[in-house]
Amino acid sequence: MKINFLLTVVLFLVFQSAGAQVYYTKNGNVTFFSKSPLQDIEAENNQVISVMNIQTGELQFSLLNNAFHFPKAKMEEDFNENYMESNKYPRSGFKGMVTDINAVDFTKDGTYPVAVKGDLTIHGVTKTITAKGAIIVSKGTISAVSSFTVFVKDYGIKIPNIVSNNIAERIKISVNCSYQEK
Amino acid sequence: MDWKTAGYRNEPGFLNQNSMGMRKKILINILLLTVMLFSTVALIGFIIWNKPHRSVRDATAVETNAVALYHALSHDSATMKTFFLNKVVAVSGKIKQVQQNREGARVILLETSIPGASVNCTMEENTGSFKAGNTIQIKGICIGYINGDPDIGLPGDVFLTRCYTSF
Repeated sequence: MKINFLLTVVLFLVFQSAGAQVYYTKNGNVTFFSKSPLQDIEAENNQVISVMNIQTGELQFSLLNNAFHFPKAKMEEDFNENYMESNKYPRSGFKGMVTDINAVDFTKDGTYPVAVKGDLTIHGVTKTITAKGAIIVSKGTISAVSSFTVFVKDYGIKIPNIVSNNIAERIKISVNCSYQEK
Repeated sequence: MDWKTAGYRNEPGFLNQNSMGMRKKILINILLLTVMLFSTVALIGFIIWNKPHRSVRDATAVETNAVALYHALSHDSATMKTFFLNKVVAVSGKIKQVQQNREGARVILLETSIPGASVNCTMEENTGSFKAGNTIQIKGICIGYINGDPDIGLPGDVFLTRCYTSF
């Protein structure tokens, strides 16, 4: 009986401490920027779910492609229908690690540069990427920022020749998330 | 009688001048038509390129409530997805929490039947005051459901963007 009670207490404490290591947001921000001779295109998505384990460094993001909001309706339509094929591939995501999570002191305010490595899935194609970023600890809150570049052809996204001057082959993706404790 | 016998022989420049004038006219007409065609195509292109985003506020909405919408989209039903996805929906429900996103926009979370799961509504305007526990109807574009992380017991949310309150 005593052993069972002790085991329950230990398990409770283990789960409690594990829970405190996990942070999440359901309204993270991801933007992408395409610079081309004819026009710059920028779109924003504020409906990004991200989970970060500050003990193991595990990090994941998931978003719906049709949540990207463009300045022009036609850009949004082309993005979803012609390039991302959002009906066929509704989600994009990332699953990986903050490889140097131990360098971050989560008890002390500061901006800690970190490196991230993992699998990025866009348009149904998964590629391993590495990116630099930073974890910001401020008054008990944790946020993370990163930006990196992807090549559209790596993800099987076809840009017709007729609009190739409008859309860059390299797209800059920026991530900006404020986390809360799970 | 052909032109040779009609006295034109005495006016050697007449045919050339006449023909040149006709050619010029035809060329000018072709040029004008081309310019008009290009202008029309350019105008249509300009109108299409600059067409405004659909007006959520004025759109006819599919009416539902937060519990039903969450259930429909989180259960991967193809029929329900077709019914709600990318449509303007008017969702009624109880406010669980009001937050701000990284851009400073207000995010209203509507309660569902699953603890920790919400209909997550990003508001277009930061007007009005909203309190947890109040019942509200929100109109916005339903973009879909994102899974949470079952390993850590984090349920997913259903997301609405460009939202307004509707009464």
